[in-house]
Amino acid sequence: MSYKNRSIVYGLYNDETELLSAVKEANKKHLKIMDVFTPFPIHGLDPLLGLEESRLHIGGFIFGSLGTLTAFLGMTWIFTKDWPQIYGGKPHWAVPAFIPITFELTVLFAAIGMVVTYYIINGLGPGVENPYIDPRITDDKFCLAFDIHEVNQAEAEALLNETGAAEVNAKTL
Amino acid sequence: MNKVDTMNEYTFTGKSRLVLMIGMGLGLLCLALSFFMDGFDHHPRFWSNLLHNSVFFTGIAFMAVFFISVCITAWAGWYTVFKRVWEAFSQFIIVGLVLMLIIGIGIYADWHHLYHWSDTSLLDPSNTASYDEVLDGKSAFLNPFWYVVIGGLIVAAWVFFAYKLRSLSLDEDVNGGDAEFKHHRKMRFWAAAFLPIAGFSSAAIIWLWVMSVDPHWYSTLFAWYTATSWFVSMLALTILVLVYLKGKGYFANVSAEHFHDLGKFMFAFSIFWTYLWFSQYMLIWYANVGEETIYFKHRIDNYPVMFYGNLIINFLVPFFILMRNDTKRKFGTLVFVSIILIFGHWWDFFLMLKPGILHTAQSTVEGAHHAGFVAGFSLPGLIEIGTMIGFLSLFLFVALTVLSKNTLLAKNDPFLEESLHHHV
Repeated sequence: MSYKNRSIVYGLYNDETELLSAVKEANKKHLKIMDVFTPFPIHGLDPLLGLEESRLHIGGFIFGSLGTLTAFLGMTWIFTKDWPQIYGGKPHWAVPAFIPITFELTVLFAAIGMVVTYYIINGLGPGVENPYIDPRITDDKFCLAFDIHEVNQAEAEALLNETGAAEVNAKTL
Repeated sequence: MNKVDTMNEYTFTGKSRLVLMIGMGLGLLCLALSFFMDGFDHHPRFWSNLLHNSVFFTGIAFMAVFFISVCITAWAGWYTVFKRVWEAFSQFIIVGLVLMLIIGIGIYADWHHLYHWSDTSLLDPSNTASYDEVLDGKSAFLNPFWYVVIGGLIVAAWVFFAYKLRSLSLDEDVNGGDAEFKHHRKMRFWAAAFLPIAGFSSAAIIWLWVMSVDPHWYSTLFAWYTATSWFVSMLALTILVLVYLKGKGYFANVSAEHFHDLGKFMFAFSIFWTYLWFSQYMLIWYANVGEETIYFKHRIDNYPVMFYGNLIINFLVPFFILMRNDTKRKFGTLVFVSIILIFGHWWDFFLMLKPGILHTAQSTVEGAHHAGFVAGFSLPGLIEIGTMIGFLSLFLFVALTVLSKNTLLAKNDPFLEESLHHHV
């Protein structure tokens, strides 16, 4: 989700409770919010923005299952067909000995798969340039942004001022 | 406001009492039946059922007071709205103390032969035919004095902490609310003092009560694995009791958020249980030292349904059902998994205790070793399930009676606000 080349009007708030009431106000006036940027997660913001639950964990399950299968089938093939050897008098297909590695590859596949998926979906990663609105949104400012092609700019600015934004600006990312 | 006030006091109605009384009656009937229905000396079916259920439910009560202490020490606030349920659970330990003392006195009085080590004729080196060097070596710990007196003192200490934490918590309702949180500070002291005591004493109790039915075998992991079994059962029973009480209109403040956290604990500790189970199994399988391997070989060969069923119901079921976010927030799936897990961990304790007790019973009968299916030992029969229902009813009867004696909301607990607004 890249916001490149979009013209926005945005307000910066000093407090998350102000931001929450501003979002409620915008919803009441049916102003379409482009996005909200905050330095930390805010309880109760997701339902107000109508965000659906992330489906990343479904990907995590699929990647994890792939890891399980890779490890278990891989070891089965190696130790029964490819290079069968006897270790400690155990059978070739020594399932208990496979479990720790199966577990580890499950975790590894799930973790790496989810990180890569997350980066691709959000357009992040090395060499990617992402515009930001204001550096202070990673510190102590809470930003509410509208796209001026989606809302009436004057109306949006009025709302931001009414709800107590410390700064109201417009720019093209 | 009035409605809230009446819902802040649990009324243990005559109907609920009657249902639990019938359950306890069924349990007594099953205990009586098992007393007369087995082919061995000293009624091992009756005594093993008594031991199995006493250990299981005493452990659940112990885990309730242990987890209260953990939460207080960790500054946790999420559980405060329903902490009265755990305080009520914890008071069952005193019943457990009585039950375990009966079994302990039975060792002295020769009522039962649950424990092979209680046979003192094995400890006499001059009698070379029956002398058992391993048991003689362990006899400093595995003896009736430790079982009854030290074991009794340990459980009495648990009773003390359960009583102390509950009475401080109740007194906080009446005399608390001061700016220094005097009651809460006292509770922090007792809770923190209990943690190391609980950690070491529960391990010793598990060695005495459970692991010593196979006295030649030992595993250093066993105590943690068994304690985790208790813990998961305690969480499952908490969920069931809370869902029941919410259905009656009590605990209106307990929301899906609290159930979500209970569900997460149940999910996480089911996996932790499996991790400990597997760690114990794999090391013994790898090393293959005869005196250790026999424990699992005996169970895989003679109790295959119990052995593999144990892993399916205690790992696969909670793992796949509780993995999703929403199944931990819906009563249907949560109750389903809780019922399965209570039964599953009871099943786990069955597999820990019965094979060793049957082996001890069979060794007194010539030629009866591994004689195939033995009712009440190879698989839980109807009598065993009836006994479990009886003990469950007794547990709930005690817990609900205790719960009906106090208000349900800990109104002066400093963490109450946090708990009311709990959001995961």
